[in-house]
Amino acid sequence: MEQVKTHRIVLQPTQVELTAPAGTPLRDLLFEQGVEFPCGGRGRCRGCRIRVREGSAELNDAQRERLSEEELRNGWRLACQCSLAGNLVVELRQWDAAILADDSPFVFEPRPGLGVAVDLGTTTLVAQLLDLTTGHVLAVRTALNVQARYGADIMSRVEYATAGDHLPELADLIRRQIASLIDQMIFSSKSVRAEIRDVVLVGNTVMHHLFCGLDVEPLSHYPFESPHAGLQQFRASALAWNLDPQATIRFLPCLGGFVGSDVLAGVLATRLSESEEIGGLIDLGTNGEIVVGNNSRLLCASTAAGPAFEGARISMGMRAATGAISQVVVERQQLVCHVLGNAAPQGLCGSGLVDAVAAGLDLQLIDPSGRFSNGRKEWTLATPVVLTQSDIRELQLAKGAIAAGLSLLLGRLGAGINDVKKLYLAGAFGNYISRASARRIGLIDMPIDQVSPAGNTALLGAKLALFSGDDEGGSYGRLRRKIEHVALKSDAKFQEVFVDGLAFPQLSEVQS
Amino acid sequence: MSLFEEMQQAIIDGKAPVVKELTQKALSEGIKPADIFPKAIVPAMDEVGRRMRDCEFFIPEVLIAARAARAATDILRPLLVGDAAARPAGTVVCCTVKGDLHDIGKNIVAMMLESAGFRIIDLGADVSAEKIVDAVRAHDANLVAMSALLTTTMVNMKSVIEALAAAGLREKVKVMVGGAPVTESWARSIGADGYGKDAPAAVDLARSLAAA
Repeated sequence: MEQVKTHRIVLQPTQVELTAPAGTPLRDLLFEQGVEFPCGGRGRCRGCRIRVREGSAELNDAQRERLSEEELRNGWRLACQCSLAGNLVVELRQWDAAILADDSPFVFEPRPGLGVAVDLGTTTLVAQLLDLTTGHVLAVRTALNVQARYGADIMSRVEYATAGDHLPELADLIRRQIASLIDQMIFSSKSVRAEIRDVVLVGNTVMHHLFCGLDVEPLSHYPFESPHAGLQQFRASALAWNLDPQATIRFLPCLGGFVGSDVLAGVLATRLSESEEIGGLIDLGTNGEIVVGNNSRLLCASTAAGPAFEGARISMGMRAATGAISQVVVERQQLVCHVLGNAAPQGLCGSGLVDAVAAGLDLQLIDPSGRFSNGRKEWTLATPVVLTQSDIRELQLAKGAIAAGLSLLLGRLGAGINDVKKLYLAGAFGNYISRASARRIGLIDMPIDQVSPAGNTALLGAKLALFSGDDEGGSYGRLRRKIEHVALKSDAKFQEVFVDGLAFPQLSEVQS
Repeated sequence: MSLFEEMQQAIIDGKAPVVKELTQKALSEGIKPADIFPKAIVPAMDEVGRRMRDCEFFIPEVLIAARAARAATDILRPLLVGDAAARPAGTVVCCTVKGDLHDIGKNIVAMMLESAGFRIIDLGADVSAEKIVDAVRAHDANLVAMSALLTTTMVNMKSVIEALAAAGLREKVKVMVGGAPVTESWARSIGADGYGKDAPAAVDLARSLAAA
């Protein structure tokens, strides 16, 4: 057997060192490190740009279009357009201040010192250290939420916390983990610890409570409303964090039910509340969160979409990591699967699942009802990865819940899907899902040019909050009061609308 | 294909408008409302149950089929009031328990029981023990079917059984339970009369409990 040549890549400023087979797309390597690709890795934006410090990376027309001559001379490349052709040392510019400075109309008032923004997810954490004077990101760290071993989803974590009085333990775990991420960022960026003035965290209501040490019992049963869902502030000394004792740690307020400050931050980042046109923001996770509205009214809700989009409860499902089929397309009636990490296929992640079902519908292997046609029991995508009948069912439940939530919220606004001018898809999955496939399966019933992946809007919103002052009167405080939470489960029409959204559209319905 | 067979097929295929049309056609042809249940709706929903058990059908199709069956029952119910030949197989009070709003499973069971000829008193979701006791008394029910989808709420099933006993109704009603975290042994431990692992099992259970 031929020896596969491997190369080494060192990422700065994280100093992470990886080894991968020659030819591995950088997109796959960097995605696993938490780097996001706002345009989905199509070379249409500059979000994934990197600076090559040692070694060389290929240059193509897409990059010449997006990068200036000076940038190209200085070694800037778009990671999504490059693959590993030799040993490399690259500087990551993910989430750099461009979004605050030029592209984005957000005006930030420079503040002295450093700040930390944290997106505290049920599964993953992303933290950034920022220079508050320039808006520059000095360091970034990603990690899996250390609490995940006590339950992958929010309900099992609530159960663990309440059943055995494990709340102090869970709070302690996550506080230590975030403190350690901050330590690592200080170290790697050679920053001065005492200059950190402000830490802003965002997350769903359960993450909020488990970090702040608040009783999650009210979140274990209907109506799933906690009396302590507001802004929580701590001094570093109270959390025993090795920062200036007076540094403030703020967990931004939740919106209601399970909808937390990550969604609030998302609204802040996408500026839904500033436009007269109706817009929407959807985070496609286990608790699919939806916000719709405009400058006069905003509604939010969460729907129990289930974990299908994250590859869970799918027979060969997996996270978007090496070996996952992340993309499936049909070319000349043949199935072409893209496998992350240039590796042998091992499983199917959320974006691959959506693509596979869309392809199955186009090839008429799957009926609009979701049933395999001709009595087929499963479908081999790329040996040994198969799609089963029950995988399709899980996807139907997930997309039905999101589609129903969106439709009911719009109904309350007196609007329909055609009134939505812009729909943002938040989070990593939102970046990776093919919008055409999402439309094909009826997840999002609107023209794809009105749908945009918005990246990690939770983190961006958290960063913006670092500049917005530390009281409830700040921009997020005003915004929070403007957003109404709707308990979809108590909407009598939910089931009817949900059932309506379970089947897949006929081909004729999506050709426009 | 006979009209009844056509109706069965339309229910299985989940074609509510066709079912509605065929039901009206049957009535206009002089077929008795009470005959349509056993000849079209019950066999169709039994077939739906079989397919669900064999994984040919999943929740979406069952819901869609049940909704199609409802297109017929909605027309037939008012016509059957006071019809001695159309006595329900039993009266079932069903709900999800206090604290639990996950009601899709309960709704499927309710729709399938309804199609199997039971009279359904659906109290909805998040229902207190007192409300269940009141409903059993007011509707002279002989079955209580409760579901819980959260481990945090399933304990409330026990309180319902205790409340029925305290109200002196426990001998009069059979209690069946279901929901993802519920198990046969849990059902026994709280003194329920039966556990249905899925909707078809719940229909079989209700039939046997009502006949006992």
